[in-house]
Amino acid sequence: MGSPLARFSVTVDDGHLAELETVASALRESGMEVERVLGALGVITGQAPADARPSLLAVPGVTSVDEQLRVALPPPDSAVQ
Amino acid sequence: MIEPPAIRPPRLPAAQTTGRQVVVFADAADAADEPVDWSAAGISDVADSRDFTSGRVPAQAMRDAGATVFARLGIAVVSAGPDQVAALRGARRPVLSVSPELVHHVLPEDPSAYVRGYRDGVTDLAARLVGAPVPGEEVPPPPAFEDTAAATWGIQAVQATTSPFTGRGVRVAVLDTGLDLQHPDLAGRTVTAESFVTGVDSAQDGHGHGTHCTGTACGPRVPPAGPRYGVASEAEIWIGKVLSDAGSGDDGGILAGIDWAVANGCAVISMSLGADVAEAHPPYSAAGRRALEQGSLIVAAAGNNADRENGGYGFVGAPANSVEVLAVGALDPRLTTAWFSARSLAAPGGEVDVAAPGVDVLSTWPMPDRYNTISGTSMATPHVAGLAALWAEATGRRGYELWATLTQASRRLTEPSVDVGSGLVLAPQEGAGSVRRA
Repeated sequence: MGSPLARFSVTVDDGHLAELETVASALRESGMEVERVLGALGVITGQAPADARPSLLAVPGVTSVDEQLRVALPPPDSAVQ
Repeated sequence: MIEPPAIRPPRLPAAQTTGRQVVVFADAADAADEPVDWSAAGISDVADSRDFTSGRVPAQAMRDAGATVFARLGIAVVSAGPDQVAALRGARRPVLSVSPELVHHVLPEDPSAYVRGYRDGVTDLAARLVGAPVPGEEVPPPPAFEDTAAATWGIQAVQATTSPFTGRGVRVAVLDTGLDLQHPDLAGRTVTAESFVTGVDSAQDGHGHGTHCTGTACGPRVPPAGPRYGVASEAEIWIGKVLSDAGSGDDGGILAGIDWAVANGCAVISMSLGADVAEAHPPYSAAGRRALEQGSLIVAAAGNNADRENGGYGFVGAPANSVEVLAVGALDPRLTTAWFSARSLAAPGGEVDVAAPGVDVLSTWPMPDRYNTISGTSMATPHVAGLAALWAEATGRRGYELWATLTQASRRLTEPSVDVGSGLVLAPQEGAGSVRRA
């Protein structure tokens, strides 16, 4: 049984900003389904098995791999939003 | 419009002066092209810091010289009377100011301060225990701001009503639930809208939160109906829908929205959203830093997780708790901290950086409601985003420089800095951003 999929944000270090596509390819080979390569920020987002985090972190140029946070606003009729 | 209470400045002792004058010159593209005509003022023996090794003028040379010029600062110290120096005002290089040189002293130590502090502490404790008023705290609070027919209390408090700046030519991104793209108050404005929510093509707002925040940041100077509620009335509006109509979203869409705003040169990115996590989230720290380096300032809500009436102070959540993101707390109409407004974390980046109006804020709401009055650090954040656009227009500053300008220009409050940071952000007034002639 594979590990359930989790959503990750992968932060790329300053030295690899010019090679984001190369880093993205290596992440794909490590089991990540890449959704977005954000060129201005040097961040790559997508999904991967929850237990794939160590292998994603091992990809050259990757400085941080974090499970995505979820934001939720109160309903529109709340007094405080 | 509420007039601020009259404050009598404390009477200060007269300053000691040396008899010399300090002259400040206007900036010159190349100072060498616009030499100062010292002879017009009858001054010879000019010592210029550029003529000395490593630019340091020895003390003896300064004493002997008729004028000492600090070329890098555009300032000269002149041994002459004010009348004599006035002759320089007609010279080619404009003079901004002439002031008497002051004598400065090491601040005196006061051995009685400790004893007085102890006495005051005991008095304060006794007063608090028996419920008597604390000396020095009997001053009645200033009157609260109020919405008027002309402007909301928040727009008055940040002094947007008297600012000549409108954010013209500055791109402001609002990353939220989108915008009511047919709202009549924004008809005719330049709006660029994009959805980053999976499976949603339009940036149309089906919640209301995004429309409210956009109105506060970029609403018109004179709305067709009701009071003014918006800050940067001529800013270009960039709407990134990163939250669904149910008000939820995740990093993937939010980061994509930031990336889009940075790539399109938005000087200000307003994010009235957050997750209640007490640690900085690395992707937002990286995004904040890289945005600043490319001239985009991210402004984010500190969070509403305090419950101050019940002793809960909360904490600044992500993304506002990243060092590289400007965190905004909420104030009520008396300029005290809103009961829900989160307090600074002890960790670096977890500070509330500035504060803005966030209680009973009137702004746009999707039609047919048109307007709604709600509260939150979400409502304080777009006030700051709009003000950042005004400062960006007035000064041309971007990124870290714009950040520093906002905190420098904010009005200090008596609230704890852990709640309001540098205080209430204010709008630039006439003449801001340029060096004026005296």
